[in-house]
Amino acid sequence: MLPHRSRTAVLVFLLPPLLLYGIAVLVPIVQSLVLSFFSWDGITAMEFVGLDNYVRMLTRDDIFWTAFVNSLGYLAICLILQLGGALVVASLLIGLRRGRELVKTLYLLPAVISTVAIAFLFQRMYALEPVGLFNQALAAIGLDGLQRAWLSDVGTVLAAVSIPEGWRFTGLYMLIIYAALIAVPAELEEAARLDGASRWQLFTKIRFPYIRPVWITTTIMATTYALRGFDIPYLLTNGGPGQASELVTTYMYKTAFSHTDYGYASTISVFIVIECLVAVGLIIMLLRRRADA
Amino acid sequence: MSARRQRLDVHRALNTVAVALIVIVQVYPLAWLFLTALRTEQDFASSNPFSLPGEVTLDNFARAFETGNLGLNILNSLAVTMGANVLIVLLGMMAAYALEVLGFRLRGAVRAIFLVGIIVPVQIALVPLFIDYASVGLLDTHASMIVPLAGFALPMSIYLFSAFYHYIPGETYEAASLDGAGPYRIFGQITFPLSLNTIVTIVLVNSIFIWNDFIFANTFVLSDGLKTIPLGLQNYIGAMGNVDWTATFAAVCVTITPLMLVFLVLNKAMIQGLESGAAKG
Amino acid sequence: MNRIRGAAFAATTAAALLLAGCSGGGPGETDPTNVNPEGEIEAREISWLLSRPADGGVITTIEQIAADYAAEHPGFSLNLISTPDRPSYIQRLETLAAANELPELFDIDATPFAATLAEQGRMMDAEALLTDLGLYEDYRPAALNYQRFDDGSLHMIPFEFQVELFWYNTALLDGAGVQVPETLDDFPQLCRGLREAGITPIALDGQDQWPLERYMAYYPFRTSGNDFVRDLKRGEAQLDSEDGRAAVEWMASLGEAECFGEGFSSTGYADAQAAFTSGRAAVYNIGTWELANLATENLNAEVRDDVDYFTLPSTPGAVTGADEYVSPSGIGMAVNAATYDPLVRDFLAFALERYPALYAETGALSPTTTVETTIPDNATELYERAVAEADSVGELSAMPWDTQLDPTSNSRLQQELTLLVQGEITPEEFIATMDTTIAEHGTAAFE
Repeated sequence: MLPHRSRTAVLVFLLPPLLLYGIAVLVPIVQSLVLSFFSWDGITAMEFVGLDNYVRMLTRDDIFWTAFVNSLGYLAICLILQLGGALVVASLLIGLRRGRELVKTLYLLPAVISTVAIAFLFQRMYALEPVGLFNQALAAIGLDGLQRAWLSDVGTVLAAVSIPEGWRFTGLYMLIIYAALIAVPAELEEAARLDGASRWQLFTKIRFPYIRPVWITTTIMATTYALRGFDIPYLLTNGGPGQASELVTTYMYKTAFSHTDYGYASTISVFIVIECLVAVGLIIMLLRRRADA
Repeated sequence: MSARRQRLDVHRALNTVAVALIVIVQVYPLAWLFLTALRTEQDFASSNPFSLPGEVTLDNFARAFETGNLGLNILNSLAVTMGANVLIVLLGMMAAYALEVLGFRLRGAVRAIFLVGIIVPVQIALVPLFIDYASVGLLDTHASMIVPLAGFALPMSIYLFSAFYHYIPGETYEAASLDGAGPYRIFGQITFPLSLNTIVTIVLVNSIFIWNDFIFANTFVLSDGLKTIPLGLQNYIGAMGNVDWTATFAAVCVTITPLMLVFLVLNKAMIQGLESGAAKG
Repeated sequence: MNRIRGAAFAATTAAALLLAGCSGGGPGETDPTNVNPEGEIEAREISWLLSRPADGGVITTIEQIAADYAAEHPGFSLNLISTPDRPSYIQRLETLAAANELPELFDIDATPFAATLAEQGRMMDAEALLTDLGLYEDYRPAALNYQRFDDGSLHMIPFEFQVELFWYNTALLDGAGVQVPETLDDFPQLCRGLREAGITPIALDGQDQWPLERYMAYYPFRTSGNDFVRDLKRGEAQLDSEDGRAAVEWMASLGEAECFGEGFSSTGYADAQAAFTSGRAAVYNIGTWELANLATENLNAEVRDDVDYFTLPSTPGAVTGADEYVSPSGIGMAVNAATYDPLVRDFLAFALERYPALYAETGALSPTTTVETTIPDNATELYERAVAEADSVGELSAMPWDTQLDPTSNSRLQQELTLLVQGEITPEEFIATMDTTIAEHGTAAFE
């Protein structure tokens, strides 16, 4: 800390960011909390309904619970793709002698494309009529029987809407993990290799423990972004067929803007905020554990 | 020895093939996007959408410029992206400086408050912000998009700057302090110049999100003159949901090009910033 | 700590104030039936928030008229703000209404939301306005009826007129040895026949939801007109009834017979149309707004001579006539009562008088009976027939359910319909879910 700091200096530096953050994030959260106790369609007078919105959400609304479970599934698939994929590719990249920079650049490209364009694209790739890339690939390897309209099948749609989200940001996480992997001291690996460790052992015993702190940070980033997931499921399937790909965020959005049920939508928002606070708690716990370790 | 050598070579080859395959999966969609923009409508509707175009046409680009107002859309997106980035970088540095360098008693609490913003989904702000904007006359302005875009990106920016400032050795500041520099001069002369790499990283990552933002623009902007790119792309949707796909893809190509060029030019700095920020955990 | 508590308090107070500020959302002092207000015409910019394709006939015609009007009235301009994507449009409209920021003119369907706006006196009485302008009698009754609320009042002005037809490919039907269905109950048979011949029976844009929901409206419209949906949406009728059950089971039978293309729920508008125009699907249910693609030389030459259409088949004991089916006049235009003044009136008088002739020249059907549609040079014989069909349609128009039900019940219905037709749920489950949903939300929405 600076020796010459002063109260005024702290305020000068801290107040503008807090002001913007307050206007854009904190006040809307508080407003949502207030609205969640009302029934309001936007054009008639607001009606105070007490806890009824909360009772409705927790006891009478089957879609809400479906959406909640779907959100967890979406989170799981995104994490597997983004973190698992990132780790695999980063490990492969280390084994590459030339062209690492090129691969890194190309790998990041999908992050630049807008979600609107990504939705257009995957809609085509999943389609059965006209037959899309996935179904063509299945036919090419003789698995015609598995061909289906991936976005219309209630069994596959959740995975199908999660994959594009996982795919587009793998590059970002791969870069971070790659940077951590190349920082693993070569002497450590060499020593283990001389002791006769297999490649797998080398990875689990030496490399992974070494990058664990970075791994945790990456997990936190990926989790928080996946919990915010909205655009791609909304644009690809709008939650359908039925409620098979409805997420809490898409359901909240629809409740507000297509059902004009602003009060109830705010109730769902409050749930999302609480869900996020719980996540923050878990993150802080993990961070502490890391600091102790 | 030679057997081991051979195994290593095979391994290397497999490795290269795997990387190549994965790169194809990553790049293919972009290639598809650009190829589709060059197809004729009939070609797109009837033939296999994944083959090479039967004949190449630039009509789609002509139609894209005719139907929409792409130039204006790009200008608006530029204005919003730059405005939001200035706020994100400047305010992010200031907050991180106060939290990490100056320090104060309640900084744990302030940090926790900012942490909330990292995970709260942006959708919760839509209804309240709309009401607030309407009451103060901010609807349908560039600011109406910039404020929430910057506000929600601010926590991550603060986090990255803080992580970086944490590693600036205390002696750097002490030396300056002994020379009689106050907190403002230190910020301007030491902290800011040191932050350049982190700034590039933050600007690039945020630009990707802001350039493509649909949800705030669609909620807060009404007049044609203020439409950003994602809203402009809606002009290609016709009656009852019909879409002129090839013109849409042409427009998409035009609109992602500026961002891609910036990205390709600056990606080294960005990758370095990400790697150095991340390796420290 | 004090500072934080202070900030939190300030935020809460501000929030409460802001919310209180707009909860009124109330009516102004304006009288929605005072269609001829006193005062001078003062030229200014007026805005029309609409949901129509940017290069479509309505917008190009209106732009032309507005330019003519501006030439006579310096200082006037018409700002057309179009959001063709309907869900995005509705979101925008509803938030603007909540913020009391609606422009002079805005597009809206005859939904419960619109009815609330009308009740609050925020939309001018269109019947009074058209009568005062001497234009009321010009309109096709079916075009006006489509815009009316349940109480018969009229608050929206139509700008188009369409009929929805079942286009079909005669060669594919002949090849499969099946006939055009005479009653709705013949549909499953038709589909099975086509499926056996390896043809997709019906091309359907399932992604946009409304096309499948149309099918849900057909059976009840034949058995009891629009009364069924009017009672159903209030919770006064149930799907668990003779009419309701018949409709649900018919939908399930369409699903069982695999009437719609595989993966229909993720098929978009353009793909569904391409399936029909490329000769892969045999039947395509769409309105006359697609005439330029289905009845002109724009249509793929391979199927051009094989395309024909039939109108909505009947049912045994139907109460509606064969010439009565879905004949929408598109999304209507409402006139904001709060900003209505001599200028708006004068411009509307100018525009509505010139509109039909100019619009009909684009090859489209005018909502009035005063002009004849210009048949384009490249039209096939079908174009003229379809236009004649529209001119002789009955006065009772089958109401699409998506404009009838409250929005919460409507989106549930759309979701459950897809599941029903895909065979994921049984008719019993469908009926139970929908009756419960409407009992909770429909009843409250139409109090």
